[in-house]
Amino acid sequence: PIPPPPNLKGRQRRGSIVKVEEVGGRTEELLDRNAYVNINANWVNAKGAWLIHVVLILLGKIVVDTVPGMTQQISWTLVNTIYLALSYLMFHWVTGMPFDSELHGGAYDDLTLWEQIDDGAQYTPARKWLFTAPILLFLISTHYTSYDPWPFAINLTALIVLAIIPKLPQLHRQRVRFLAEDIASGAQTPVTPN
Amino acid sequence: MENALPSSSVSSTLEPVLALLAYSLTKLETGFYQIPGSAVVARYVKSSHQNDPGRTILEVILIIFAIRTLLQSRTRSDRGGKHYIQFGDKEVDELVDEWTPEPLAQPLTEWEQKELASIPVIAGPNGPKPKLVSTGKTVTNLASYNFTGLAGNEHIKERAVDTLRKYGLGSCGPPGFYGTIDVHMDLEKDIAEFLGAEAAILYSQGYSTVSSVIPAFCKRGDIIVADRGVNYAIQKGIQLSRSTVRWFDHNDLRSLEDALQAVERDRKKRKGPLTRRFIITEGIFERDGEMVDLPKIIELKNKYKYRLILDESISFGTVGRTGRGLTELYNVPASQIDMLVGSVANGLCSSGGFCAGSTIVVEHQRINGTSFVFSASMPALLAVSGSEAITYLRNTPSTLSALQENIRALRAVLEKTEGIAILGHRASPIVHFSLRSVAPASLSPASAATPAGKESFDVDGEERILQEIVEDALANGVMLTRAKYLRKQEMFEPRPTIRIAMTSALTRKEVEKAAGVVKASIARVLSRRR
Repeated sequence: PIPPPPNLKGRQRRGSIVKVEEVGGRTEELLDRNAYVNINANWVNAKGAWLIHVVLILLGKIVVDTVPGMTQQISWTLVNTIYLALSYLMFHWVTGMPFDSELHGGAYDDLTLWEQIDDGAQYTPARKWLFTAPILLFLISTHYTSYDPWPFAINLTALIVLAIIPKLPQLHRQRVRFLAEDIASGAQTPVTPN
Repeated sequence: MENALPSSSVSSTLEPVLALLAYSLTKLETGFYQIPGSAVVARYVKSSHQNDPGRTILEVILIIFAIRTLLQSRTRSDRGGKHYIQFGDKEVDELVDEWTPEPLAQPLTEWEQKELASIPVIAGPNGPKPKLVSTGKTVTNLASYNFTGLAGNEHIKERAVDTLRKYGLGSCGPPGFYGTIDVHMDLEKDIAEFLGAEAAILYSQGYSTVSSVIPAFCKRGDIIVADRGVNYAIQKGIQLSRSTVRWFDHNDLRSLEDALQAVERDRKKRKGPLTRRFIITEGIFERDGEMVDLPKIIELKNKYKYRLILDESISFGTVGRTGRGLTELYNVPASQIDMLVGSVANGLCSSGGFCAGSTIVVEHQRINGTSFVFSASMPALLAVSGSEAITYLRNTPSTLSALQENIRALRAVLEKTEGIAILGHRASPIVHFSLRSVAPASLSPASAATPAGKESFDVDGEERILQEIVEDALANGVMLTRAKYLRKQEMFEPRPTIRIAMTSALTRKEVEKAAGVVKASIARVLSRRR
């Protein structure tokens, strides 16, 4: 039987507004990841990778402080939010590996750097440090300034949304999708993998 | 004053408790200030607090959360820890005591033993009329692939023996590492010239050719549109490539166009980048002998900008005026097909396979074709046999017309047989027939034409009936075979069939006689069963 043309299909059910789905757990992806060492992610365990956070934050604070007319509140807020934004971009936004793809064949394409660290084991030393560093920065910043309510709120929200929530083990390999279309196009022709 | 009495009594009982609390607090404070450095801590906390209890509570919650995270122990990684069950020592000991090793090879089931016993053993070389060891009689071979009768060709045998004397037997290495002999390069050139392609590359095993070509070009993230009825080697190649696959209905061009349009819609919706896209299909399907409409597929591929990987394992050396395959049959230049995969083992009665295409396509496979890089190249004498077979096909187009006549004669007899349905194209050298399903009178009369998957069939039952037909035919002098598959491993389960491989080495009379024997066997077995 000839399938009906797509624009004459009946009313299609819309997907939900917010959907949480798991990525990167298929068998062939797990097999391909086990082939070689993940050089994209094992530098966080190397010497100096922990100290670099402190060094970069200090440098950033000094640079920001040289701007004339800078108050302590703005300075600490800037350092805090820039650090959180950059570390979010690096650890939780960008997926995949920039290195040669022959070794892993794109098996890490769905995983962010945070999810690649230590092959997905939670509460490892590197992860504990990366968890604690933004919190320490926030506490130090609130100690040395007296924040007005708004900067305090900005800092706290940035900390929770950009640093704490993405690093929770419950969100490991989960993606939150807004207005996801889950209508399979061309249902007569099945797709592998689905 | 009467009401005040209970409160005063309550307060009087509480007074010693409160006095004790106050006393212990002052003791703690003095004790705290005696610890060295406590004044620093007190000053720090006071300046952090900044008279804002809300902020302090938030910070204390953060500190507690951070300490809790630091104290958690490490969990297992994704690498395979998911199914790990933690056994205690006593349980481990119990399991070890109970364990008995399984045999290396499982004992065969009754059906497997019967199947093993039913494989005929022939004495001497294989050919169109081999001699059985068990009875000593000659039988007509309708089971082996010998389409143009090249198995046992005397001239090819002589040339092969000469090559054996010159080069020895093995090629002693992979083609990229001392394994390429000049006869391999000659065969590659011969195949390319024969087909009209720019270049060709040789693989040493015909079955693994297409499952190396596909992963050489299709990677994760690419899109493959494949026919549901492709053979197992193509399915494994697709699985190895890790690409996204969209399956279309078997040999159905409208379904193919639907799939191509669906892929384009998906890509637009996702606003994704343009990835490499491939159409994978076979020239003549090994599963049922259907032939694709090549010009239409090429038109579709050019319209939607896809590359075509065509597996001509059965059609190379068997169709077309001189056996060049579908390109000759449909008069399509071979440059229109991006990767033309064929089998030297099936069509030219030698061994191995090839992939023909443009120079870039072929050169890419010299490093990225896994079976080319990691397997030994074929023996020199088989490469020479392949070259000689091509010369034979060029000079003797009458074999192919004889093959087509034989196919027609066979089909004419089988179509008149009751109880079976013949699958496939009328020019296909592979003729499959399956048991006609017993359709109840209420359903539509077209029973054999229903597409695969829409009707359910009893695999084991039909296999047994077909096996009886095969054994009956062998007892009467015709060697047949069922089409054998790795059940439960195929993507879409194929229907049990008997596969007849026609050959031009038999005369028309012999073919008609053999077909008559098959027809009688079918009638006998089916009437016994009824």
